[in-house]
Amino acid sequence: MIRYLRLYLQFLKFSFSRSLEYRMDFWFRIVMDCMFYLVQLVFFTILYQHTDLLGGWNYDQILIFVSGFLVIDAIHMTVFSNNMWWIPILVNKGDLDYYVVRPVSSLFFLSLRDFAANSFLNLLIASGILCWSILRYPEELGTSNLIWFLFLLINGAFLHYVLQMYFQIPVFWTHTNRGLITAFFSATKLMERPDKIYPIWTRRILMTVFPTLLVIALPSRILFEGPDPWLIFWVLGVTACSFLGMRAFWNLGLRHYSSASS
Amino acid sequence: MIRVQNLRKIFKVHRKPPGFAASVKSLFRRDWIDKVAVTGSTFEVNEGEIVGLIGANGAGKTTLVKMLSGIIHPTAGEAEVLGHVPWKREDAFRRQIALIMGQKAQMWWDLPGADCFELLREIYQIPPEQYRKSLAKLSEMLQIGDEMNIQIRRLSLGERMKMELIAALLHSPKVVYLDEPTIGLDITTQRAVRDFLLEYRRTNAPAMILTSHYMEDIERLCERIIIIREGEIVYDGSLKRVMREYAPYKQLRLNVHRSSTAPLDLASLEAMGQVIECDPGSLCLRVDRDKVPEVAAELLRKYSVIDLSIEDPEIGDTIERIMAGKADGIR
Repeated sequence: MIRYLRLYLQFLKFSFSRSLEYRMDFWFRIVMDCMFYLVQLVFFTILYQHTDLLGGWNYDQILIFVSGFLVIDAIHMTVFSNNMWWIPILVNKGDLDYYVVRPVSSLFFLSLRDFAANSFLNLLIASGILCWSILRYPEELGTSNLIWFLFLLINGAFLHYVLQMYFQIPVFWTHTNRGLITAFFSATKLMERPDKIYPIWTRRILMTVFPTLLVIALPSRILFEGPDPWLIFWVLGVTACSFLGMRAFWNLGLRHYSSASS
Repeated sequence: MIRVQNLRKIFKVHRKPPGFAASVKSLFRRDWIDKVAVTGSTFEVNEGEIVGLIGANGAGKTTLVKMLSGIIHPTAGEAEVLGHVPWKREDAFRRQIALIMGQKAQMWWDLPGADCFELLREIYQIPPEQYRKSLAKLSEMLQIGDEMNIQIRRLSLGERMKMELIAALLHSPKVVYLDEPTIGLDITTQRAVRDFLLEYRRTNAPAMILTSHYMEDIERLCERIIIIREGEIVYDGSLKRVMREYAPYKQLRLNVHRSSTAPLDLASLEAMGQVIECDPGSLCLRVDRDKVPEVAAELLRKYSVIDLSIEDPEIGDTIERIMAGKADGIR
């Protein structure tokens, strides 16, 4: 564990020196992500000019929910996104070879080696928006609610990565996964809405088979309604099972890795 | 150190005839064919040995190396490297091997070599003292100095290959796979890489498997070669034996005075051996090894010889003939 932490620190060090090499890209990504945040907030602000409640949540609650989603998106962009983009390319070009022969988990290496230092500022901005939305919330939010919310928020970012990997790994067999990745991003739109707007069966599916509602909707519900042990157990249990399944799927993919002719 | 038993690899390849109609058809129905990359290879490699793996493009050399380094799974057969099954990819195995591919970079493009080595130190958990010594020794052997602090993408191909070698050998592996390590390098760098590998073998005695299309690599580095043709090992033995067995002749080259008493008579020359070249004043004959003294004496007696040389045929030509299945006695 400590070995992997030390390795991750090296990844961080290299990623920062690499990102600062490309100044234009550094600033461009920050501006683009800020525009995305603005669009999300404006969308719900306009929506609430026509209604008071959405899925049982008022405007103050939806602001926290959206800000939480923005933090998850920023974590994803900072920690995982670049790596996710590279995986199909590496598999297809046979460039996974050197990752497979190293005495370190290839899943760890390929998922975390590239830390998008230029998105790190966005993570700070998104966290700032979340703090602002919590501070302006008119009612008092319990400390344990807040702690569980923040913990499950980080869990949500991890679950988001795990779910995306399920759409990446088939590239070992299909050799291209652009369609699947588009499908993933379309499907994850479902997590950007409050859970209670969905009919009961859709909600069940989105809490089990494709558990996107566990990413941010349920953590937000725990923040507003208090920590429900069963719900917390469910969120963490499904995340753990999804991760174990994904790891087994990855190992199966590696068995089918055919590299490329030299 | 390396033991391979009946190792086979078959790839399933999608066959698509050319044209738009075939592309549309392949959306619904595909024809798959089995492409045999390696068929039943059996051999062993010992400590301190450099074995040259030779074959034409697509013969299965790289596939074999990739199976032995654990990158791909075989279809059948067994292999044991340092007591491990390579494709199980145990950390204890991966810590003791190195792979260098001339056509694929392992270094991080945007970082200086020194940073890449630091990351590798962490990956291989090399103790700081050993890392420092190993890095100093390897950079001295390869004459690398300030280049270590320059981004990899700004280095020349030769400098990059030297960095690749350092990166691969920092953890002092016991087994090293070299897949065309000198490809694309200029002659001076090729020589430097060869000298380095020989010196490294002398001091560390790892088992090495080398694939290369450059005969000079093979001649300089390998006492033993394995020749692969269409996935099958057709020769496994010493470089000297390959000449003895598959080139059972020598070439006699002589220059004669144009005013020689006897003119170069083709019919009598053909009785001595195969005439390769016959110009006024010069001659080249291919003669069975055991007849060389007799034929040389006959030529010296018959003609006024200025110069006579007895040569082995080019090793590259012999191996090329074996790879093409034209040499006598190959399986």
